[in-house]
Amino acid sequence: MENLGETGFAYLLLTPVMLLLGTIALYPLLRTFELSLYQNVLSDPEFVGFENYVQLFTGGASPRFPGSTTFLPGVSTSGSFPFVHLEGLLRSALAVTLLFTVVSVFFETIIGFGQALVLDQDFRGRRWVRAAIIIPWAIPIVIQGMIFYLMFHPSAGFLTEPLANWGLVAADNTLNDPMSSLLIVTVADIWKTTAFMALLILAGLQSIDRSLYDVAKVAGATKWQQFKLITFPLVLPALGIAVLFRTIDAMRIYGLIDSVSGCTTVPSLSCMVVATFNTNRGLAAAVAFVTAGVIAIAVLGVIYQQYKEGF
Amino acid sequence: MGAASDSTQTADDEMGPLERWTHGVVNDQEKRNRLYKALFYVAAAFFLVTTLFPFYWLLVLALTPSVRQADWNVSIPLLGEVPFPTPQGFNVYAFVEVFQQVPFHLYVFNSFVLATATTVIVLLLASLAGYVFGRLEFPGRGLMMLAILAVSYFPPAAFLIPLYDAFLGNAVYIPFLDIELFEPPRLVNTPGSMIMPFSALFLPLSIFILTTFYSQIPDGLEDAARVEGTTRLGALFRVIMPLSAPGVATAAVLTFIAVYNEYFFSSIMALQNQPEQWSPLVGGILSYQTQYTTDFNLMAAASIVGVLPMLIIVVVAQEKIVSGLTDGALKE
Repeated sequence: MENLGETGFAYLLLTPVMLLLGTIALYPLLRTFELSLYQNVLSDPEFVGFENYVQLFTGGASPRFPGSTTFLPGVSTSGSFPFVHLEGLLRSALAVTLLFTVVSVFFETIIGFGQALVLDQDFRGRRWVRAAIIIPWAIPIVIQGMIFYLMFHPSAGFLTEPLANWGLVAADNTLNDPMSSLLIVTVADIWKTTAFMALLILAGLQSIDRSLYDVAKVAGATKWQQFKLITFPLVLPALGIAVLFRTIDAMRIYGLIDSVSGCTTVPSLSCMVVATFNTNRGLAAAVAFVTAGVIAIAVLGVIYQQYKEGF
Repeated sequence: MGAASDSTQTADDEMGPLERWTHGVVNDQEKRNRLYKALFYVAAAFFLVTTLFPFYWLLVLALTPSVRQADWNVSIPLLGEVPFPTPQGFNVYAFVEVFQQVPFHLYVFNSFVLATATTVIVLLLASLAGYVFGRLEFPGRGLMMLAILAVSYFPPAAFLIPLYDAFLGNAVYIPFLDIELFEPPRLVNTPGSMIMPFSALFLPLSIFILTTFYSQIPDGLEDAARVEGTTRLGALFRVIMPLSAPGVATAAVLTFIAVYNEYFFSSIMALQNQPEQWSPLVGGILSYQTQYTTDFNLMAAASIVGVLPMLIIVVVAQEKIVSGLTDGALKE
C-alpha cells in the first residue's frame, strides 16, 4: 500500500465510499429505471416498454393509487400552467410537490432573511436567540408532524376554529381536506426549516466587509440604501445556494405529510411511491424515476453553481 | 447643527404627538436609531415566540389530563375570548405513563444505537474520502466530488424499491442484464437495513466538511509523522484527524442529528413499527398516533421526551451546527 502512487492510493481509499454509494444509490437508481419498464414485477414480469409512463401521464394509472385525482382542479383548466396536459393523479402529485416547494421556499427565504438580520446584530442573549431559532430545525420530522397534527385535530386542537373563521382552513375534517392539509404542511415546513435558510444567509451577511458600511455612512446613505446597495447584492450568492438546497430538499417531502394528514389526502411524488411500491412495483418505479428526474433538474442547478466556482 | 435643532424645536410645538414623532424620526438621527432598535426588539421577540410556541403547545397538552374537555380560550379584557391554550391541570404523571403504554424507551434506545453506529461509519468513510479530496492531487478528483454531491441530492424514494427488495432477501440482479449477482441476507427489521441507507445518505455532507478541515493541516506535520515511521493511514488517523477535532465533531453532530430525525427509511424498513424490529423513535411516536388515538396528552409527552436529546445537543453544540451547515453548503 505504501508503494502505491498518489493516484492509486487515492482510488484505494475511495473504494469503500464508492462501494457504499454504488450499492445504496447508483444500483437502486438504475434498477428502478429497469423495473419501471415492466408490469407484474412481483408475479410474472412482463416487459412493456414505456407503458407505465404513458399510463401515468395520461391518467390511466390513477385508479391504482390511493388519493384524490382531482386535487387542485383549477390547475387543469388554466392554460398557462405548464402541466396542463397531464391527467389524473400524477398531475395532482406534481402540483402538490411543486406548490409546496415554491410556497415554502419563498416564505422560508423571506423569514430566514429577517432572522439572519436579527442574528447579525450584537446584543445580549444573542446566543440564546440563535439556539431558539435552530431548535425547530433539529427536531425529528415525526415530532414536527405530531405538533401540527395535534394543533388541528378535531378534538384536541385549538387552531381549526379561529382559522376556519377567517376562511383559511376547512371547519370540519380539516386534516382530511386536501387544500387545508397542504396549507398546514407548508406552514409546518416553514416553521422547521427556516432556520437553515437563516444560518446560510447569516454566513453570507457576516462575510461582508464592515468597512463598506462606514464608507456608506460617511457618504450619507440611509439604512435602506445601505441594505439595497451593499447588503442585498453581496448576500445574493449565498442566498442563491440556500434556495437551491432547500428546493431540492423540499421536493422530497414525504414524512411530514405522512404524519400530519396521510398520503391519500395530500399526495406528493414520494408519497405515491410509498403508497404503491408493495402492490404495483413497475408503476411505483416509474413514479420514483419521474421524482428523481424532477429533482435532477434542481441538482443540475447546484452542479452548475459549483462548477462556476471552480471545483 | 445647533441652529437646525432649534428650528425643529419651535416647529414641534405646533404639531400633534404622532406628527411630532414621525417628524422626529425623519429628521433626528437619535430618534431614528431608537426606532430601529425598537423594530429590532419586536422582530427578535416575534421570531422567539413563533419558533418556541409549538413546544409550549406540546407542554400544555402533556400536562392537561383530559384534553377532550379542555377549553383552549382565554378571556382577555377588551379583546374578549382569545384562542390561546393554557395547561388545564398539572398531570406530570403523563411523562411516566408514556413509557408504560408503549415501550417508548426501547424506541429511543434504537434511535441512539442507529444514530451512533451510522455516525461511526460515516466518520470513518468520510475521513478516508476527506483525506483524498483535501490532500491528494489525482485525475478525476473534481468529477468524483461532483458525483458524490449529485448522489446525495436524489430523493430516497428513488432508491427505495430495489433496496427494499434486496433487504427482503430477494436476489440482486445487474440492471438490464438479467444476471443474478448474489442473494443477500434478509435485512429488514435489523439495524443493517437502516444503517446502510443512512450512511450513504448522510455521508456526502461529512465528506465536504472533513475535506475542508483536512486540507488546512500543514503538509509538514504529516511529513514529520511519516519520517517517524507511520504509514499514510497512520498519519491520517493519528495526526490529521486529531488535529481536525473541531471538524470531526461538527460532522459527528450533524450526522447524529440527521439520523435521529430521519423519517423515510426509519418508518419503512421496520415492517410493523415494533421495537424488537429495531424501529426507532419514528415508530414509537407513530404507534401513539395510530393505537392510542385519544391519549393526546401521551402523544405530546412522548414528543417532548423525543425532542429533549436534540434540545441538549443544540444548546451544547450550537457553534458546531452553525459552522457545519454553512461550511457544508457555502464553500469559501
